[in-house]
Amino acid sequence: MVGLAVVIPFIFPADFPISTTPEAQMVFDSVEALPDSSIVMLVFDYYPSTIAECEPMARTALHHFWRKDCRVITLSNIPLGGPSMAENVTREIAPEYDKQYGIDYVNLGYKANYVAVLAGMGNSIESIFPTDNSGTPLSEIPLMDSVVNYEQVSFIFEVADNATADYWVSIVNAQYGVPIACGVTAVSAPKYYAFVASGQFVGLLGGMKGAAEYEQLVGKRGKAVVGMGAQSLVHLLIISLVLIGNIGYFVTGKARKGMSR
Amino acid sequence: MRTTVPVIVAFLSGIILVVSFFFQETSFIGGLSQELKVWLTIVGGFTLLLGVVSITRVNFSGVVRRRPGWGYKILTLISIFAMAIPSILPTSWSPLFGRNAGSIYDWLFVNLDSPMMATMFATLAFYIASAAYRAFRARSAESTILLITATVVMLWRVPMGEALLNMLPGDIPSFLNTYVMGGANMAVQRGIIIGAALGAASMSLRIILGIERTYMGKG
Repeated sequence: MVGLAVVIPFIFPADFPISTTPEAQMVFDSVEALPDSSIVMLVFDYYPSTIAECEPMARTALHHFWRKDCRVITLSNIPLGGPSMAENVTREIAPEYDKQYGIDYVNLGYKANYVAVLAGMGNSIESIFPTDNSGTPLSEIPLMDSVVNYEQVSFIFEVADNATADYWVSIVNAQYGVPIACGVTAVSAPKYYAFVASGQFVGLLGGMKGAAEYEQLVGKRGKAVVGMGAQSLVHLLIISLVLIGNIGYFVTGKARKGMSR
Repeated sequence: MRTTVPVIVAFLSGIILVVSFFFQETSFIGGLSQELKVWLTIVGGFTLLLGVVSITRVNFSGVVRRRPGWGYKILTLISIFAMAIPSILPTSWSPLFGRNAGSIYDWLFVNLDSPMMATMFATLAFYIASAAYRAFRARSAESTILLITATVVMLWRVPMGEALLNMLPGDIPSFLNTYVMGGANMAVQRGIIIGAALGAASMSLRIILGIERTYMGKG
C-alpha cells in the first residue's frame, strides 16, 4: 500500500494548491532583500539519505541566489557526501546562469570538528580551509580575494538534517551577527520554530513541504512540488491506518470487557 | 602522569577558548584561540582516520576468523578502500582520482552510496505505516491528545490534507501554525533547548576543571 501511495501520484499527478507558511515567506523575503552580487554561504549539512527533502531546498536557494547575481561559497560539515552534493548541485545549475567556478562560486568542502570550523571561520576562513574541495589554495581563487571571515558574508543558508543548525545559531549568528535561514527535515523542523521566533533564524523551511513552498515562491517548481503528491497520499494512508488501528483497539477492547463480565 | 597531563591540556584549551571570547580576535589570546581551533580541525581529521583503522581491524579479524557474516565484512572493506584510496590520490596523476566530477569517488558516491543511503532511509515509510496500524493507540488522555495533534499536523503538512482542513469551518492551517507549532511546540522546544544548553555548559565546566574524567576512560 505504501509503495502504491508513492508510485500512483507520479503516474497520475494531481495539482493541489501549496499554501505558503510565514516562515518560508521569510526565507524568500530575506534573500530578496539582499543587495545584488552579495557574498552568501550555502551549507550542505545533510546526508544523502535525506536528499529527497533537503536537496530541493539547496537547489532552489542556489537558483534564488544566482538570480540575484550573488557569489556563493558552499561548504559542508558532513563528511559523508556533503562536499560531493555541493559540487554536483552547483556544477549542474551554474551553466544556466553562466556562472564560473572560482569567480562566482567556490566549494570549500569539508573539515572535521564543526564547532571549531564555525568558530574559526569567524576569524579567518583561509586558516580553516587553506584549500577548496579539489585542493586549490584559496589564495588562487579570485572570489576568496575579498572574503576574509564572516564580515564579508551577507547571508547564510543552512540546509541540514541534523543538529549542526544549532551551532550556526549559537556560534555564527549569536557571535558574529550573520543572518541565517535554515532548511531542515520535517522531523527536526519543530525544534527550530523557537529560533525563528527569537530572530536567530530569519526564516525556516520544514521538510519537503517547506521546499515545495520555496520552489513555488522562487518560481522554480522542481522535485519538491512533484513529491507533494506522493507525500500527501502516504500521510493520508498513515492517518487512515492510525484510525483503523484505533477503531479496532476500541472495538476489541469493548468486546474483551464484555467477555470478562 | 597519565591522568595529570590530559587534565592540564583540557584545562588550558578550555580556558583559552572561553577567555578569548572577551578579547579582540587580533590580540595574542585571540590568535592563540584561532590556532587552537585549527588544531581542533586537525585532531578531528585524525579521529576520522582512527575510525577507518578501527573498522578495518574489526572487519579484517572477522574475515580471518571466518566469523558469521564474514562475506559482508569483505564487502565493507572493499567499499571503504574503493572510495577512500582514489579520493586521496592527486588529480594530477589522473582525472579519475580526487573527488571532482568524473572521478572514481564521485561515480561511486552518485551511483552507489547516495541511492543506497536514500533507499535505507526510505524504508522508514514502511515501518511507520506498520507502526501506525499496530502501535499508535489512544490508550490514555495524554496519548489521545498527542495522537490527535500529530494527525492534524500531518494533514496540515501536505497539500491534500490542507485542502481537506480548508473544507472545515475556521482557518485551521493558520491556527496550527500559530498555536500548535508556534505556541505549544515552541514552548516545549525552548525548555528542551535551554535545558540541554545548561547541561552542556555544566559538563564543559566539569571537564575544564578536571572533575569529569570519563573522556579518559575513567569514572
